Order: sequence, then structure tokens, then C-alpha cells
Amino acid sequence: MASDGSNPQGRVLSGVHFMLGNYATAEGALAGGCDFFAGYPITPANEISERMSHRLPEVGGTFIQGEDELFSIYAVTGASLAGAKAMTATASAGFNHFQEGIGYAVAVEAPCVIVDVQRCRGENFATQADVMQMRWGTDGDYEIIVLAPSSIQELFDYTARAFNLAEEYRTPVIVMSETTISLMRERLDVPSADEIAVVNRRYTDLSPGEYKPFAAPEYGVPDFAPLGKGYNTIYSINPHDEEGSIDWDPDVYERMYDRLTGKIAKHRDVICQPRSYAVDDADIVLIAYGSEVRPALDAVEMAREDGIAAGLLKLDAVWPVPEEQIAAAMSKAKAVIAVEMNIGKYANEIERISAGRVPVHRCTKNRGIIHSPEEIYRSIKEVWK
Amino acid sequence: MSLKLYPRRESVRKDGLPHFFCPGCGCGQVLNFFLRACDELGMKTEDMTCIGGVGCAARIPIYLSTDALHGIHGRTMPWATGIKMTRPDMPVVVFAGDGDALSIGGNHFIHAARRNVDVTVIVVNNLNFAMTGGQVAPTTPLTATTMTTPYGSSEPPFDLCKMAETSGATYVSRWTTAHGIQAIRAIKTAMQHTGFSVVEIISQCPTHYGRYALGSGSPEKSVEWIKEQSIPRTRAEKMDPEETALNFVIGEFVNTQRPVFWGSTIYDGAEE
Amino acid sequence: MKPLKIRFCGFGGQGIILSAITLGTALVTKKGYYAVQTQSYGSEARGGQCQAELIVADEEIKSPSSDEKDILVAMSQSALDRYIGDLKKGGILIIDSALVTEIPDVDAEIIQVPATETAVALGNRIAANMVLLGFVQQATGIISKDDLLSAVEDLVKPQFMDLNTRAIEAGIELAADVSLEVTV
Repeated sequence: MASDGSNPQGRVLSGVHFMLGNYATAEGALAGGCDFFAGYPITPANEISERMSHRLPEVGGTFIQGEDELFSIYAVTGASLAGAKAMTATASAGFNHFQEGIGYAVAVEAPCVIVDVQRCRGENFATQADVMQMRWGTDGDYEIIVLAPSSIQELFDYTARAFNLAEEYRTPVIVMSETTISLMRERLDVPSADEIAVVNRRYTDLSPGEYKPFAAPEYGVPDFAPLGKGYNTIYSINPHDEEGSIDWDPDVYERMYDRLTGKIAKHRDVICQPRSYAVDDADIVLIAYGSEVRPALDAVEMAREDGIAAGLLKLDAVWPVPEEQIAAAMSKAKAVIAVEMNIGKYANEIERISAGRVPVHRCTKNRGIIHSPEEIYRSIKEVWK
Repeated sequence: MSLKLYPRRESVRKDGLPHFFCPGCGCGQVLNFFLRACDELGMKTEDMTCIGGVGCAARIPIYLSTDALHGIHGRTMPWATGIKMTRPDMPVVVFAGDGDALSIGGNHFIHAARRNVDVTVIVVNNLNFAMTGGQVAPTTPLTATTMTTPYGSSEPPFDLCKMAETSGATYVSRWTTAHGIQAIRAIKTAMQHTGFSVVEIISQCPTHYGRYALGSGSPEKSVEWIKEQSIPRTRAEKMDPEETALNFVIGEFVNTQRPVFWGSTIYDGAEE
Repeated sequence: MKPLKIRFCGFGGQGIILSAITLGTALVTKKGYYAVQTQSYGSEARGGQCQAELIVADEEIKSPSSDEKDILVAMSQSALDRYIGDLKKGGILIIDSALVTEIPDVDAEIIQVPATETAVALGNRIAANMVLLGFVQQATGIISKDDLLSAVEDLVKPQFMDLNTRAIEAGIELAADVSLEVTV
């Protein structure tokens, strides 16, 4: 549905498809209400732009190919503040350029969706190496939501959900795509439009005289006011008080950042919905996200067939960290294995949560290729010895 | 024309003052020019979105009773484009310094002009990076002394109006803070123009450019110097370009029409 | 059921990836199966080595990569030489007889199909991939002819439909006496 609640024909392509991951990302965005997209060519994210350039005009939206990634991220924040549900997409090298604008979107609480199709430096090989940059890439203190789909279906579902989370928490939401799934085709089941929940922009009922643009309940989110209607809101990256006035008072600064970070960190149990596979009786618990979930699940099955009680916790949102769910999943385990396609980055978070209570092993791979089930199973067997 | 001291006082934010411009800075004048232009056109700042990036001129929108985006250096054009595409009904005005428009934001500026995005850009060109302490800018005149060109600048400056014209802007004019009436008229024309409209206003920075490059912190002397350097376009056209190389050529350079930008792809069923 | 793994290989421009996409589209959108298709190719826009993999199953597929293929369809000698090692023991090797002349000594059911010759006879060598698809359809029975043609119609421009249909039908004819045991 569009942000005005209408459902122009063709926005949701209900039915069974055999679809390219990048196309599914674009279709998920449309289903989530996207009506503005700006992008800059980069492989392997180009098919997202191409699909959007084709599809957005059909549903009354705007597509722009900008002059660089900085255009993309700022056009998206501008469009967002003007009322659009806006998205941009890039691959790792372009994601570097986004960081500046992500900081702005965080500070002025501009809802938007950012897709990073992670690739190895300069080449379209598989990796999950940007997992930390997604969390810590821009300047200043902040929390952010990052969703990690593992399949074409999840590229669709999570991208649609990213728009809802962006509106609910007034924040940029990053969809952590990967070369592995972006250039893969797979079965995609698109539900009917009325089965897809869409969260629309929340506007204030207050008059300009009563309205305070950044006033919200504790760890809550303020309502928007439309631009150009006398509400006179300043959307500045500088520290601002509830009225939106730039203010360098340390109390104002602290209060602002308490809410900006708290609105996400305090709701992580709602934002994060990890899924457990055979974790309850598992001696060895694997923790994986994104495409790595897939061979990890195969490896768990192989282990179970051989009588090793293995299980898997599949993370959907990697940021904020689902602390409680990770702690619960490892509470009965004898060992944990962090599975990821990089030098071992999210493993540090898992180690932090374990705090020495359960040994955390690493099954990492950083050579441009997703783990095979056999490789992960070898890790399980080594830990089992 | 009767000059009111504070035209549209209600267009200035109650909590906005005192402003942070140095005494004698041209930014306050440009703010006044803009409000007078709005006043004469019967336009209210509340009905617009005004954009400032980072720099002295970028502060202008945050003193106005308007919706404003502020605080990021050089990205005013992408913001303006995203906003205008989403709210075609609403006037969008950008206030940029020369650093914002031509240095860090130069690429965005030429592409916004090329696309003919329907926004108005007021560039306050004070010939240096003032807010950071008076460093050399892409508009600093050749040989001028600044905080980072202590022996004089070796870099030839940009001509913003020529660049805007070449890039495809459909309204372009240049005036100075010494030409208030003309500047107001140009802003009015720009605000009424459909398409990418640029008004460059050469402005004094007595604190930095005045002291380092002109040898005087006196605002009057800076404005006097700007006035002396200014040559009307009609006169400059009859002169050898080398003669006018160090002058500010003032006047209207472009006033034309061509299709405005509503997205990168043509779509027959497109809604505006 | 164990997933079925098929690899098509050759050089860029032969429609290798389209073959895998077409078969995947037919199996998923016409027959309701699950399928995953991946590919790799050289940086050349045309002419580089190219392979596409299709995994088919009656349930969601986990790992998108697999070590051993059940079926290898090879449309060039160099691609065959490179990928033959991934064919499982006792697997099925289908080769374009005009393009692959050195047949490796492997434990596999080896079938030579004059796909390019047939396509040339039909008027365009570019349709060799469709001849092979028709052959695979008939020989394995994993999809019906109608479903395959319907998927082709979904994917290719209408002006190529006639050539593609004739190529698929020619491939089906070539497989008239061939029956390969394949289950999904």
C-alpha cells in the first residue's frame, strides 16, 4: 500500500514467482509502501534500481538515478521528511558513502530503508563483512535496526517489514542483503495485498501552536507534522530540544540521545524475532544470520542424523542485538558456534553475551563463498570431540 | 519603495534571535532581501521548506518561521530534490554558502541544474570558508590571502553563474549585498520561476575575508570593495574578458524555460 | 526427498543461465516445487565461461550451493572439463555433441545430443539451449512439455516464441527413446 493507504493496482504482485533476489527486494519495498527510490549504479545491487525504475512509475512513485550515493541517501531523507516512504540500495563500496546520511536520518528521525548488498572488495563475491559497519558506520551515538534475510522470500518479507519498522520507530532501517541471495533466484510466494501489514506515517493532530516536533513519551517516537503547513520544524543534525531548536545544553543533548537510542534498544524484544531450530535439547547451539543460516540448518540436520544434539538460533534482526534470546538459546548448551561469512565479527557480540558462561567457537569463512553444510558440520564435530 | 526596517517580522522565529552572524556580515542582509521578496510576492515562509547546509549562509533558514533542513555540509540539492519530488505543491528554497554550493556540494549543484529541479537556490558567496575561520574557497579570487593561502591563492576561482548556466539552470543572476533592490527583484523572479533558479549574492565577510584578504575588518570597506569590483553584465559584455577577470559581473544571465524534473524515467501515466 | 541438482555450463551468450531460469520457473510457478538457481560467469559480457545451477525439491531448500550435481548439461568443452569433477558418481552427463568432442572417462550415464546441429537446422544456433531443455524435459519427465513451454512464454520475448517452441519440440523428439531416472 502507498503511504496514503491506497493500493494502486500492481503494487503487490500476489502469486508464486521464481524470482531474482534483487527483484524480490524491490517487490518487498513496493508491498511495504515504498513510493520514492534513489540509487546509483553498483554491482551487485543494480537489479534493485532497475526493477524500481520500471515499477515505481507504474504505482505513482518517483525513481531517481542520482549522481552518487550521497545524492541517494540525502534525496531519500528529504523525500522521507516530505512524507514519502523512501528507499535506496547499494553494495558495500557505496554503503561507505551512505554513512554520512545515515547519521542525519538517525538524528532527525527520518524513516527510510537502506539496502546494502554486501560484496567482497571490488568483486561480487559473497560476504557478510559489513555487519559492523551497519551498526557503527556513522558518527555519533545511535542505535539502528538491521534485518538479515536469508532467502528470496525473506528479502521480500523483511524489506516490506523494514518500512513498517522505519515508520514505527522513525529510524533508518538497513536490509542486510548479500551477493549470495541478491543474485540468486528462488521461489517467492507473494501474499495478497490485504495480508501484508503496512504501517503508515503518523501525523500529529495538534495545531502548530501546540505541536512540539521532537516531544515523545519516554523511549517513544514523536508524531510528524507535514512540511509547509506552518509547523516550522527545524530538522537539524545539531542537538535539538523537544521544540526542534538547536540547543547545546548538555542536559538537552543527553535527553535527546537517551530517547534516540532508547526507542530502539528498549524495544529489541519486539524488533528481534529470532527463530530456534532444535535448540531446546541442543548441546551445541549454532547462531547464524543471513544466507549462512541455510548451510547451518543442513549441518544441524547432519549432526542430528549422527546423534549429535545440535540446534540453531536464526537471527532476523542482528541489530539491535537480541540479547535475551541469545542468552536463553545458549543457557542449556555446552557450546555455541557463531557462524558467519567474515573474519568473525558478530561472534564478538555472542561472546559478550556469553560472558564466559558457555564457550563460543567460531565457524567463519572469508573467501567469497558461502559455507557448505559439510564445512559447518566439520566445525560441529570438532567442538563435539 | 518604502523600506520597512523588519519586513514580515512574523517570518522570523521568536526563539531565533539573537542570530549568530558577525556584526556587518552579509548573511543578515540576504535574510532581509529574501523576506522582502516574499513580502512583495505575498508568499509566506510558513508555506515553504527552506534548506541550509553547513556554513554561515546555511544558518539563514533556522531564523525563519519555516520548515527547515539543516546541518549537513553540501547536500542541500539532494534534500531539495527529494522534497520537491514528494511535495511538488510546496516552494523549496535553498540557502547555500559558496563552500556548500560549489566545493563539497559542487557535483550535486551541477546535476540539480542539469535536471532543472524546480527549486530556488540563493548562494551567498562571501569568497571564503567563513564559519571555519577564513580558509580558501573555490570562489576565492586568485592571489587573495586567506588562512590557508598565506602567500596568496594559486587557485583560479569558479564563476558560479557560468557554471549554473552551462549545467542547465533556467534562471541565473548575480548581485551583491551592495545591490539590495536588484537582489530582491532577482529573488522575486527566481521564486516565481518554474525550474532551477539560482541567485548568487556576493557578500562581505569582514571578520575573515575582510581582515585577511582586504586588510580591513570594516564591513563598510568590504562592501565598498565589492561595489567597486562590480560591473554590470551589459558593460562587461563589451569589454575584453581578461579585463573583467577579477570583477564581479552582475545582472541576469539566464531566464528561460524547459521541462522540469519529475524523476529519471519518462512515464506516460506519471502523476505530478 | 533429496533435492535434485542440475548444472548447465558453457560459454556466455549460449543461454546457459536462461536454461536454468526457464526450468526453475516451470518447476516453481507451474508445478509448485521449490527451486534455487545460482550462476557464475566471467567478467566478459559475452563469450566467457559460464555456469548455472538449479536445485529442485518438494520442500524449502536450505544450502544454496551443493558439492555434487545429479545432472550436468555441457555446451562447451572447456566448461565440461572444468565442471565434470562436480558430477556425482553414476550421475547424468548431457553434452552438445557438436561442441564437446572429447568425452571424459567418468562413471556417469553419458548422452550426446546434437543440439547445436538441430538448432542450426531450425534456423538459429542460439536455440541450442532450448533443444537441450526439450531433451531434458522428455528424458527426465520432471516437468511436462506444456509447463515448460508456458515458462518459456513467461520469460522470452514473443518474437522468439516460435523458434523456441520448435527447438523444444525438436529436443523432445531427440529424446523419444531416452528415459532417465530422475526424481524430485
